[in-house]
Amino acid sequence: MEERKPSWLLKVTVTVLFVFLLVPVLVIVPLSFSGENTLRFPPDSWSFRWYGELWSNDRMWGAFRTSLVIGAVVTVLTILIALPAAYVIVRLKVRGSELLYNLFTAPLLLPTIVIGLAILIIFASVGLLGTRLGIALGHLVLTLPYALRILATALNALAVTVEEAAASLGAKPLTVFRRITLPLIAPGLVSAGALSFLVSFDEVVVTLFLAGPEATTLPVEMFRHLESRSDPLIAAISVLLISLTLAVVLIVHRSIGFSTSFTR
Amino acid sequence: MAQQGDETRRNGLAIALLLPIVLVNVGVFLYPVLNLLSTSFKEALPGGGIGTEFTWANWSTLVQDRFYMEALLRSVLMSLLITFLTLLCSYPIALYLHRSSGQWRTFLLVLVVSPLLTSAVVRTYGWVAVLADTGLIKNGLEQIGITLPFRLVYNMTGVVIGLTEILMPYMILALLAGFGRLDPRCEEAALTLGARPIQAFWRVVLPLTAPGIALGCLLCFVLAVSSFITPRILGGGRVFLLATEIYDQAIVTLNWPAAGTLSILVLVVFGLSLILYTRALRAFD
Amino acid sequence: MAPTRHPAKPLNMTLAEADMRHGTGQEEPAAGGFLSLQGLGKRYQGFTAVHHLYLDVPRGELVALLGPSGCGKTTTLRMIAGLTPVSGGRVLVGGRDMTSEPPYRRDMGLVFQSYALFPHMTVERNVAFGLEMRRIGRAEVAERVKEAVAMVRLQGLEKRRPRELSGGQQQRVALARALVIQPSILLFDEPLSNLDAKLRDEMRTEIRDIQQRLGITAVFVTHDQAEALAMCDKVAVMNAGRLEQLGTPTELYERPANPFVASFVGRINRLPAMAMGTKAKVGERELRLTQPMEGNIEVMVRPHRIQLEPAGSAATESTNRVQGEIRRTTYVGDLIQYVVHVDGLNWSVEQPTSASATLSPIGAKVDLSWRVEDTLAFKSAG
Repeated sequence: MEERKPSWLLKVTVTVLFVFLLVPVLVIVPLSFSGENTLRFPPDSWSFRWYGELWSNDRMWGAFRTSLVIGAVVTVLTILIALPAAYVIVRLKVRGSELLYNLFTAPLLLPTIVIGLAILIIFASVGLLGTRLGIALGHLVLTLPYALRILATALNALAVTVEEAAASLGAKPLTVFRRITLPLIAPGLVSAGALSFLVSFDEVVVTLFLAGPEATTLPVEMFRHLESRSDPLIAAISVLLISLTLAVVLIVHRSIGFSTSFTR
Repeated sequence: MAQQGDETRRNGLAIALLLPIVLVNVGVFLYPVLNLLSTSFKEALPGGGIGTEFTWANWSTLVQDRFYMEALLRSVLMSLLITFLTLLCSYPIALYLHRSSGQWRTFLLVLVVSPLLTSAVVRTYGWVAVLADTGLIKNGLEQIGITLPFRLVYNMTGVVIGLTEILMPYMILALLAGFGRLDPRCEEAALTLGARPIQAFWRVVLPLTAPGIALGCLLCFVLAVSSFITPRILGGGRVFLLATEIYDQAIVTLNWPAAGTLSILVLVVFGLSLILYTRALRAFD
Repeated sequence: MAPTRHPAKPLNMTLAEADMRHGTGQEEPAAGGFLSLQGLGKRYQGFTAVHHLYLDVPRGELVALLGPSGCGKTTTLRMIAGLTPVSGGRVLVGGRDMTSEPPYRRDMGLVFQSYALFPHMTVERNVAFGLEMRRIGRAEVAERVKEAVAMVRLQGLEKRRPRELSGGQQQRVALARALVIQPSILLFDEPLSNLDAKLRDEMRTEIRDIQQRLGITAVFVTHDQAEALAMCDKVAVMNAGRLEQLGTPTELYERPANPFVASFVGRINRLPAMAMGTKAKVGERELRLTQPMEGNIEVMVRPHRIQLEPAGSAATESTNRVQGEIRRTTYVGDLIQYVVHVDGLNWSVEQPTSASATLSPIGAKVDLSWRVEDTLAFKSAG
């Protein structure tokens, strides 16, 4: 029914603004094929040399592997920790559920720079600084609130009556959870997992405080590199990162649909 | 009796299931943050040490040092400017998205959200490539014979441009949530009552979407004040803000009590903007 | 621009004066309708919502657009209001072409199905909105708002917000807001569908009263045939984007133009038959028709025009008669509903109840008789 045509002025403005919104990501792809020694856009010559540089850059590859491992571990831990918590808060409705929920999602309200600094000071005294375990713990603080929120929403949307129906048909609580609840909140699990991975994989600020020579992630290495130089090596890595993100999003999209996973 | 036993079992189960998240939340979030607050009132020892005696020294240094006060002022003013620019750039997109429908809308929505899924480091680097002296804009302008007499990056200009773009998706999503509560019939009713589109916008659409605007502004201001990756890179180490100072004190100078004190300052700014936001919300109603 | 926006209407006119002016019927255009739709059409990609619609609404009349959902009635109303651009045809008001005017220059009041009250304004501000858009002085705005609020009996609620009002009260605010600007035409988009049954009856009368008192030309969209028949001077029945019939409620009910109108307006029983002149054969029996027809036809009769008589009663010249067997009876207080099996079809028959009436037993063989004048007949489709 709606067909109030936007005026041409709005259309032109919106086009310009979309270009503004997307230009930093759009320039990176051609820039990664630059043949120049330094940053120059548009480049005067084209080549794959920066992908070659990336291939032989052990530091970046090491950081990339660390990022992947930490991302995977954090994702698994997040689901294992957040799912029982969401179940207790939504289903068991113990006293103070609301308070607990607010406490567990509180890290989203504080600036990451403050969280990073706070963890740094504690980890320095217990020897977790500069370790993969330390970084993973730091990431968990950030991924748990997202996962808890998504899973709580999914559980809330699931009618208790369905679980009660299964119980009335003779299913024991654990069976109800495994056969009824789990399959029905599967989309929530997938998006919570995907988001946890992306948050962990892209995290810079907290990681910057916790990383050390022994354990560092790709975004941190990129940031450190950028502090001194801005050559197209970063463009090549960025293309790699964007492709990876795109792959994760596509997998999620295939399994549950984009709009239900990232835009709520 | 049986019911009481049931209750106890239920509580036991709840505690067991909550234990992991409580451990992480308390051990890696709650205790560290409270400890950080107390650090602000401890003496700084050389090499990242923290004294045990209570002291106001960090706060008196902070208040007396013009450098910090200027950084605070600069952070707040810059964030206000960025919030305003973000609103200005996001409102048309949100309005357009609100009025479009179907697959086209979904596609545009994906375009809006996709930057959120791209690392801030990557997008910041993209802005370097656009704004640098040999980057897209200056290089492109030189091709047609125009030479800009000023730099676009490694100064405040670059930080403002970059952060505005980086915060736009948050603002657009907040505005869209606000538009979602707007009944399109209200706008049509205004038109049939004789309001020209611009009048309908000012008298009906804008007041009804004000809560979304307020939420978006709060979000962007808070994120701008605490952002530090983008200012660090696009500022080229020459733009001194609260967040960049926290990092410097924590990692370079290793003065953790000073960093903790600055963190509290950031939290105070957060709190004040939250109070302002709730006041504004109440005023709309 | 201001002087040309509202032609032939002094802005400082009160509702009472408007009342008198509408009564005189001045400057009636030759076309016959104060509001005239000429070949109005709306095409969307791959589907036509409204086909070449011609409709004239005389000054001061209330005309209903009646039809099932998706028949194009709301689209038509939105095209009249200028909220939906037309794909073809013209909208004339008082002889003036409005087709390309934007909604804010059409001077029409629209009452929305959802009321579309401005949630951030009080009742008073809502009603005043249209007047403020017309740059009318404060004192007069206050005066006219007061008058309009009184007309819909909302005195004392002026300072309330819409969400603090009941559905019926919100409906009245929407009405006052549309009325206060003294629109040339008042449009209603299913305004009563969100109210409960009792309130709906009340608002029907009230809307009709106000419309007649002010002599406003009005179009009323509804899918409720009872509402259309009870309230309106004329009813335009629409189906699948086309106008099926325009007529007074009596004409629609007694002389429907086609089977769609016959079955949409009121309930009806159908029986296939073979016509030869003014006679129609149903199996062995003959029915009399009101006018001569030939070939396959469908005979239709309204349930409450049928009399149930014991099987084998004598036929008379002025009645038609078929046989059936009672399958089900339902007692609903003021009447008894029967389902009667007639030639393999289930007919419904309604009889008023009286203290002495007895239910005919299930399985009883009965004769169904009705007056020849109550026999509707249409050519069978295909």
